[in-house]
Amino acid sequence: MWSLIQKRLCRKIRLHSSITPSCLLNSVSEHQFHYSSSPACNHTAPRSAIGADKNIGLFSSFDAKWRGSNFMRFLSSQAAAEASTSDGLTVGGIIANNWVIYDENESDWKSHAAAIAQSIHLIKKRLRWKKLISKLEVLSKELDKPDLWDNPSHAGKISREHGSVMGKMKEVNAFEQELFEHVDMIKLAREENDAELESESLNALLVLRRHLKEKELEALLAGEHDPCPCFIEVQAGAGGTESMDWASMVMQMYKRWAENRHFRVTVVEEIPGELAGIKVFMLLYHENVFTRATIKVDGDYAYGYAKAEVGAHRLVRISPFDSNKRRHTSFASVAVIPILGDDFSHVQINESDLRIERYRSGGPGGQHANTTDSAVRITHIPTGVTASSQNERSQHQNKASAMAVLQSRLDQLEIVRQAQINAEHTQSLTDINFGSQIRSYVLHPYRMVKDHRTEYEVSDPDSVLQGDVDGFILSFLSSSLDKDIEDD
Amino acid sequence: MKSSRASLSSILQPVFSLRRPAFCSAAAAPPKPRTPLHLRPPAFRATLSDLNRWHAWAKTQASSVGSTFSALDGGPDSSLLLRELNWLVEDAVEHPALLSTESNAAAEVAIRAQLEEMYELWRQRIEERRPFQYVVGCEHWRDLVLSVEEGVLIPRPETETIVDLVDRAVKSDSELGEGLWADLGTGSGALAIAVARVLGGGGRVLAVDLSPVAAAVARYNVERYCLQGRVSVRLGSWFDPLKDVEGELDGVVSNPPYIPSKDIHSLQAEVSRHEPVLALDGGADGMDDLFHLCNGAASMLKPRGFFSFETNGERQSKLLVEYLQNEMKGSFCRLEIVSDFAGIQRFVTGYKA
Repeated sequence: MWSLIQKRLCRKIRLHSSITPSCLLNSVSEHQFHYSSSPACNHTAPRSAIGADKNIGLFSSFDAKWRGSNFMRFLSSQAAAEASTSDGLTVGGIIANNWVIYDENESDWKSHAAAIAQSIHLIKKRLRWKKLISKLEVLSKELDKPDLWDNPSHAGKISREHGSVMGKMKEVNAFEQELFEHVDMIKLAREENDAELESESLNALLVLRRHLKEKELEALLAGEHDPCPCFIEVQAGAGGTESMDWASMVMQMYKRWAENRHFRVTVVEEIPGELAGIKVFMLLYHENVFTRATIKVDGDYAYGYAKAEVGAHRLVRISPFDSNKRRHTSFASVAVIPILGDDFSHVQINESDLRIERYRSGGPGGQHANTTDSAVRITHIPTGVTASSQNERSQHQNKASAMAVLQSRLDQLEIVRQAQINAEHTQSLTDINFGSQIRSYVLHPYRMVKDHRTEYEVSDPDSVLQGDVDGFILSFLSSSLDKDIEDD
Repeated sequence: MKSSRASLSSILQPVFSLRRPAFCSAAAAPPKPRTPLHLRPPAFRATLSDLNRWHAWAKTQASSVGSTFSALDGGPDSSLLLRELNWLVEDAVEHPALLSTESNAAAEVAIRAQLEEMYELWRQRIEERRPFQYVVGCEHWRDLVLSVEEGVLIPRPETETIVDLVDRAVKSDSELGEGLWADLGTGSGALAIAVARVLGGGGRVLAVDLSPVAAAVARYNVERYCLQGRVSVRLGSWFDPLKDVEGELDGVVSNPPYIPSKDIHSLQAEVSRHEPVLALDGGADGMDDLFHLCNGAASMLKPRGFFSFETNGERQSKLLVEYLQNEMKGSFCRLEIVSDFAGIQRFVTGYKA
């Protein structure tokens, strides 16, 4: 390992010996970052030591400047500096080059670099980079005030905030540094026909690409409740059999989607349709026919992803329930409710405000009946909000599970109420109106699934109905991100 | 099995007294409870395709029932049977999620019963109307999973409420929670175990049943919840085995047989063909055992002791309250009728004066 580092070190020094004045600042800022001991940067530690050796030789005259009282401000002003390769290639430059991004398996450094640059660009966008820079400047000025510590609690707050902003910026800068380091290394390896070094650096670039892809997704899911598990609720629109069938298909789609993502899915609630005759026939297809059904989806960022699906989903097809083979349009509404953690202050529910009923009960009950059905419906009388559960194996568990749904529904109502007070959020809430039509699934006369919000479309409805919804979700999340930024 | 009804038990009493030594001598080999399916080791293997074939067959069986059973006697319809089938898979297959995946059809899956037995179990469920809980050998009740088998009444969801009533009583008078309680006609031990879990650390429960099978199953369930120190199972009829604690009980709960004899034959097939009739038949108007329990409770309970009994519904609850108020005037106070979640006046509660 050490010999490898030495080898790379020698080459690096040679590389930088042709350094141009415009690059000095970048090297300084790199050095500066590596001096700090942010845990997020630990993985770059060995390399930073090398960087330090290298730079000390070249720029020891700067040393005095780095220490002392100006340290913080200097650091801050450099956090925003744009990094580049030795020959001046920047993230913006890479994006402008429009290099084709191939599949990860293709060993093409330009493709990797372009993918990485795109991820960095997206992450910066999500962080509102420019705002972050000005915020850092403001905070740095505050920190420089000589009377700052006269008010220790204020000073603590400023210094914590400054640290957090610096942390975010340093993380992104470290990614850029790493990108350019690998790119420089690949160029050098090519100049010197060092295949081993080239493949090693290419591999490092791929690792960075994957890591940043994850980071990019995280950046898309930065909403307060995004990491929560959630309930997905599908409600059949008007139109009886056909729309209930459609609602079952939509629910099936989400179950598959969640399973593919390795989320845990539990069916909580299925409010059956009144379709005595046709029910058994439909059961052969779906097992369950309902007017409203709710599943619980448990897993990292379940709410963050699923929230992109809120709205009305429209189906156009020749109905299998129509003996005249006519074309039908049906709707199913999807609602997604976050299950907020313990740290969230839940709406208080008074036991006396609840009406708890045995759901779908009939007959004398008790010892007369032996049934495994112990469905429970709970009504919150003041709001009229109801929740039911029937798939648990005991009444007690059904009650607990219905209570959990009720709690989340009431929490959601409260969030909406709060948001209406806080005008800032009103816009984004109307965007995810329960009733607005977000997507069409056309099975006849042509075959296509199209999202009306993003224009994203897929020509294979079967794959979508089999749970392949990620494309729609991610395109919506990125587009709403862009919209957010424009709003700034 | 619950204790036989009072009139019968008074006749049978000498017989049982005579036979009791016989049970005792057989105590070396008491009835051995069956292990519920979900607790058996996953010792068998089936290929995924064979298991899926069984699953498809079982689904078709369930679907073909439609609403015939429910129209016939209020039995389960297809959707309920399909849900039960999911639970059977949950209990029988070590990794149930495998069934819905498109894994290799030749892959082997670990199961807790031979595939042939799985066919047989589902055939019994559909053709013989064997209760699902006997099929899998357990009943999920409150937060408990209780072992049940033929000869033991399957605890009903309604009865869960008695535990809530006890919890409420204990919370309003913490002394009750540290006292001695009795569950009469304990069956699987459901009430005794759940009550012990809501009592305070010093609370103890005596669980009584006339049926040796029920007593053995109740003991097994008590052990499964590690409550041997706090719940003791006694064999015998109603208060008979509790003579040593007369006047010392802080609470009495019971779900006694309360179905009028004439109604027994028209019950849902799962109940009438498979569950122990002595746990169901409450005599001519279904109230023989309820009256017997009230009489016994008057002498067994401490002053301020609590009782809660399940009944057949509004008529029996009202009759029982009248009986307590008039025939047993002065023995009890704070009598109350409590409804179950279906809105049926199901429980009578009160305190010893």
